[in-house]
Amino acid sequence: MSFLDSLMLGLSMVANIESFLALGIGVAVGVIAGAIPGMSATMAVALTLPFTFALQPITGILLLLGVYKGGIFGGSIPAILIKTPGTPASSATVLDGYPLAEKGQAGKALGMALWASCTADLISNLALILFAGFLASFALNFGPPEFFTLMLFSLTIIAGVSGESLLRGALSAMLGLLLATVGLDLIYGTNRFTFGDANLMGGLNFIAVLIGLFAIPEIIAMVWNPKAFDGQKRAMGKSWVEFSEYRRCFKSIVRGSFIGVILGAIPGIGAAPSAFLSYSEARRTSPNKANFGKGELEGVAAAEAGNNGVAGATLIPLLALGIPGDVITAIIIGAFMIHGLQPGPMMFVINADIIYALFIGLIVSSVFLFFVGSVAIHGFKYVADIPRGVLFPSVLVLCIFGVFAVNNSIFDVGVMFAMGWVGYFMLRYRIPAAPFLIAFILGPLLEDNFRQAMLMSGSSPAILFRGPITWFFWTLTAITVFAIIRAGIRATRQHRALRTANQA
Amino acid sequence: MSFKKIAAACALTLGMTATGALAEYPERPINMIIPYGAGGATDISARAIAEALTAAAGTPMVMSNVTGAGGATGSVAVQNAKGDGYTMLFARVGSHTVNPAMKATLPYTLDDFRFVTVYEINPVVCAVTPASGINSMDDLIAKAKDGGVSYSSSGVGSLLQLAAVMVLREFGIEDPLKATVHIPQKGGGEAATAVLNGTVTFICTNSSALAGFVSNGQLKPLLVTTPDRLEGFDAPTAAELGKPALEQLVGWTGIAGPASLPDDIAAKWGEWMATAVKDEKFLAVMDKAGSVINLMSPDEAKAFIEGQYQTFRKLVDDLGMRIEG
Repeated sequence: MSFLDSLMLGLSMVANIESFLALGIGVAVGVIAGAIPGMSATMAVALTLPFTFALQPITGILLLLGVYKGGIFGGSIPAILIKTPGTPASSATVLDGYPLAEKGQAGKALGMALWASCTADLISNLALILFAGFLASFALNFGPPEFFTLMLFSLTIIAGVSGESLLRGALSAMLGLLLATVGLDLIYGTNRFTFGDANLMGGLNFIAVLIGLFAIPEIIAMVWNPKAFDGQKRAMGKSWVEFSEYRRCFKSIVRGSFIGVILGAIPGIGAAPSAFLSYSEARRTSPNKANFGKGELEGVAAAEAGNNGVAGATLIPLLALGIPGDVITAIIIGAFMIHGLQPGPMMFVINADIIYALFIGLIVSSVFLFFVGSVAIHGFKYVADIPRGVLFPSVLVLCIFGVFAVNNSIFDVGVMFAMGWVGYFMLRYRIPAAPFLIAFILGPLLEDNFRQAMLMSGSSPAILFRGPITWFFWTLTAITVFAIIRAGIRATRQHRALRTANQA
Repeated sequence: MSFKKIAAACALTLGMTATGALAEYPERPINMIIPYGAGGATDISARAIAEALTAAAGTPMVMSNVTGAGGATGSVAVQNAKGDGYTMLFARVGSHTVNPAMKATLPYTLDDFRFVTVYEINPVVCAVTPASGINSMDDLIAKAKDGGVSYSSSGVGSLLQLAAVMVLREFGIEDPLKATVHIPQKGGGEAATAVLNGTVTFICTNSSALAGFVSNGQLKPLLVTTPDRLEGFDAPTAAELGKPALEQLVGWTGIAGPASLPDDIAAKWGEWMATAVKDEKFLAVMDKAGSVINLMSPDEAKAFIEGQYQTFRKLVDDLGMRIEG
C-alpha cells in the first residue's frame, strides 16, 4: 500500500461524523474535567476508557486523545483563576497566571494560555508526524544514567523559580525532596518514613500535595484575616489577549513547544517538568525577566506551551515503540490493546491506515481545542468576578471532593489540609512553593535513576559519563550552575555597593 | 389487646425487614476496589467484567482505583471494610501471593480475606531483545553463569521479580540473587522499556504485557509457562524444557471480600460470576489480552492461592529474600 493510499484510507476513517463527534466531545469533556480542581486529565481519561470498549477503534482512541488534550489545557483555567492547578501539568501556569488574574487580567491570561496551548499542540502533532521514527530511537537511548543527568540539570530550574531569594528557594526544594522520600523504597522494597501506617506506604498523594500547597493557603489566609478581603472583588475579566502580545511571546511559545516535544518523546518524564523547564528558559532569556512571577504574560505562554507540547509527543514512544511515556498514555495503550491493535514498529506497516487516521485526527483536535477552549474561557472567566466570600468556600468544597476522588481516601484529604498549613506558613515567610513542587516531582526520579544506574554498573560511577547524552547534560548543568553562582556574586556585590553608598 | 396487636405487628414488620435485608443483598451499589492503576492488567480485567457483573447482580458496581504500595493500599481498604459484601476487591497475584510471601511488614495476610473466586489466569513469558544474541533459555543461563545478566521488574515484591528468580533457580542457578542483578522499575511499562533500551538483559512477566513487543519483533520470547504452546509466542513451554514446576508461575485475577464475609454472600457472587464470565464482550477483551478464563469456586480459589503462596514462600525463604524492614 502506497503512502497516498494509506493517507486516503486514513482520511476516509476520520472524515465521518462519529470521529468528529468523538473528538469534539472528548475535548469538551477534557476541558471541563481539567478545570475542576483535583479532577486531573489522568482521571478524566481513565473514566472515559470504559466508554471506548464499544466504539470503533479509531473513534474510541480519538475520544481518549481529545480528553487528554482538553484536560491538559483545561488545567490552566483554575490555575489562573483560583491559584489551583487543575492538573499537575499546569502548576507552572500558576506562577504568572494567578498574579495576572489578581490584576484583573484573567481574560488576557486565559486567552494567552489557549493560544499558547493550541500552537504548542500543533507543533507537537507535527513533530509526531514528521519525526516519530527519529525521536523514538533517540528516546531509546535514555537509560538510567541519561535520566539521572537530565534530572540533575532539571533541578537547576529551582534557581529560576525561587523568586527574590535563592536560599528560600533551596529551603523549599529541600522540604520537597524530604517529603518525596515517604513511601516504599524502590530498590529494597522497605518502608521509609511510613511510621507503620498503611496509608503512607504508597507515598504522599501528588494531587493532594499540589492542591494543599497552592489552593488551601489562600483560603486559610482569608479565614485568618477576613477583613482584608471583605467584599473585595477582582475587576471584570473582560480584557482579551491581543495579537501583538502573542507575537511578542511567540519565541517562548515555540521554544516551550520544542522542550515539550523532546521531553514528551522520552518515556517517564511527563508534562509538569516540561512546563517548568520551558518557564525557566523563557524567564532566563526574556527582556522582562524581572516581571516573571509578578504577572508576566510570557510566563503563562511559556508554561502552557511547555505542557501542551508534550501532548502529541508522548504518542511518539507509544506508536513507534509501544511504550507508554506516562500514566495517561498507559491508559490509552490499554484502549489500543482492547481493540486488538498493538502499537509498535509493525503497526506502521500492518495498520498504516489507522496511524494516518490518527495523525489527521490529531491535527483536527488542535483546531477543536481552539474553539472549545474559547467557549470554555468565555464561560469560566466570570469566576474572576465572583466575590471571594462566595468563591473560596466553593473552591474548598471542590478541592476536598477532588482530592478524595483521586483515590477514594479520607487520608488524602488530611494530607491536603496538612500541606495547606505548610503552604500557608511558606506563604507568610515568603518561601516560594514552586521549588518544593519541582523537587517533589524530580527528586524521586533523580534518586531512582541514580540507584538503577549504580545497580547496572556494580556501583561504578563511570556509568554516569557513558555516551554523548550524559556529557551533554553534565555540560549544561555545569554552565547553569556557573551562571547562577555568577549572578549570585554580582547581586551580593551590588547589594554591598549599594549599602556602602547609603552609608557614605 | 391493642398492645398485643401492636407488638405483634411490630414483630412481624421487624421480622419481614430482617429477612428482607438478608434476601435482598444487594440492595445498594457495590464498591469494587481495584488496587492497581488505570490501564494496567488488573484494571482492564476488572472494567471488562464490570458491565456483565452489573447485569448479573442487578445493582451498579462502582469501580474505584485505590493505588499505591504494590497493591497494598487498596487491599488494606478492603481488609478493614465491613463484611457486608458492599466493599469487594479485585485481588491480583502481586497483592495476594507475591507480596505476602515476600514482605514481613505487609499490614495484611491471606487470612484477612475471603476469596469468592479466581476467574482469570495469565501465563508468564520470559523474553530478551533480539540484539542481545540470546536465542534460548540455555544461552541465557550460560550467560548468567558468566555474570553480568540483569532483569527488570515492576518493583520489589512484584510477580516479575519472583518469576525471574524462580526461572533462574529452576534452570540451575544456585543463588540467583548473587549471580544476577535485579533492577526494579516503577511499573510494568517501565520494566518492559528497560529490556528494550538495554538497561537489563531479560524480563519475565505476564504474556499480555509483552504480546505487543513480541508481535512487533522488538522482543524475543524464550519460555512460556502454559502447558501448551501459546499462540503468538514462538517459544517452548516450561514442560518442553523439562521444568514443569514453572507452570505454577502464572498471574491471576480474583475477587475477594474481608474475612468476615458470610457464606450466602459468597454464594451469590459465585452465581453472578458464573453468568458474567460467559459475556461475549468480556471474553473478547480477555482473549485479546491473552488471558485464560478459568472460573474457580471459593474453595478452589483458596486452594489455588494457598498453593501458589506456599511455592513462592519456600523460594523466598530458601534464598533469604524476605523483606523485614
